Amino acid sequence: MELPSIRLENVFVRYDNRDVLRQISIDLDEKRIGIIGANGAGKSTLSRLLNGLVLPTEGTVHIGELNTREHAKQIRRQVGFVFQNPANQIIMPIVSDDIAFGLKNLSLPKNERQVRVAQTLGELNISHLADRETHTLSGGEQQMVALASVLAMRPQTVVFDEPTTMLDLRNRLAFQKEIAKLSQRAIVVTHDLEILEDFERVLVVTDGTIAFDGPPAEAIAHYRQWSHA
Amino acid sequence: MIAANNTSYLARIKPGWKFGALLVLSIALYLITNWTVLLALFIFSAAILLSARVDFKQLRLPLISITIILGVVFILLGLQTDWLNALRSVLRLLTMCLLAYAVSLTTKFEAMLELFQQVASPVRFIGGNPAQIALALSMTIRFIPELKKVYTEVREAQHARGLANNPLAVTVPLVIRSLKIADETAEALDARGYDSEPAKRRF
Repeated sequence: MELPSIRLENVFVRYDNRDVLRQISIDLDEKRIGIIGANGAGKSTLSRLLNGLVLPTEGTVHIGELNTREHAKQIRRQVGFVFQNPANQIIMPIVSDDIAFGLKNLSLPKNERQVRVAQTLGELNISHLADRETHTLSGGEQQMVALASVLAMRPQTVVFDEPTTMLDLRNRLAFQKEIAKLSQRAIVVTHDLEILEDFERVLVVTDGTIAFDGPPAEAIAHYRQWSHA
Repeated sequence: MIAANNTSYLARIKPGWKFGALLVLSIALYLITNWTVLLALFIFSAAILLSARVDFKQLRLPLISITIILGVVFILLGLQTDWLNALRSVLRLLTMCLLAYAVSLTTKFEAMLELFQQVASPVRFIGGNPAQIALALSMTIRFIPELKKVYTEVREAQHARGLANNPLAVTVPLVIRSLKIADETAEALDARGYDSEPAKRRF
């Protein structure tokens, strides 16, 4: 799968005259990218820029040739987003209907949707959840369903915003395995530093800027040092 | 209640026919005054429900609630009018409930939504969007348990801090948290490519 380059050029994001992100200019080409940093540092805002959920106050974000300001709809087909709290991401009351929801938005015919739903559930080994009511799922199951609903849309990139925060150890490890298996590019915002061990690149976000950008071991060391300061 | 993967003969009947039959039967029940016919129809509806291979664990609580409510209705009507009239009313209501359970528990939620969308399609003429209405309906059903969970959490937190029953103290955090959920869900709808423009939607 050829992955389009993600380019942020001189990006500023401001809320109420406060700079949440300042002068971010980066290219993201790797397949596994982590984003770490303290609470309120701007990690989630940075991740939301990547599929147009947040638009830059200044500067541009490009996914391949597409600009998030002008092509948000096309970009959301290419860049999936898994939120921290899966309960609020699941829209429909039945698992298979929820996974089909995004596919309806892509205007796929019904039979194709059914095949895609079954395929995606099978890939994540959660076919047994297909007919379950979504509110009866455990946290780990909800997070897997949230991932399935994004993967069913066959995005080229999946952005995860602290996906393991609400999971126990067993579910965290299972989810970590699923991220590792993805053929898509994965950009993971996390406080769970273990997830990042096999990643190619990790960004450390501090006070709205990228304070460090490099391989995981060095990035984590930098983050630990910053946290102790 | 939402249908799981029901495989009975009722599940194979088109939702439009099932809901149509339910509507016609419900109206017909009020035209019948002979209690023996009503009793026969009640037995018939129970047989339909029993033959529909539904999950009776799912039905236990609603059936208990309905029995209690209709018990009260029977006593009140019996005291106010006469006992035969009370029996007729309760038989009608019970028959309707059993048939409604049989229909809803053998119809997939997606199929129900599609039917709802078809029925609501005339709202287009007054500028409405049936797809949006169907989505709102499904999200209401989806988020009722979530809001119940939030309510329980708020109550527990307040009990833990020694606060007795105080409607205002429950309402404020409940509304704030509901708004936060609404905000996050709106973001999720965006992220999943939801387009609210009617002309381009094929819900």
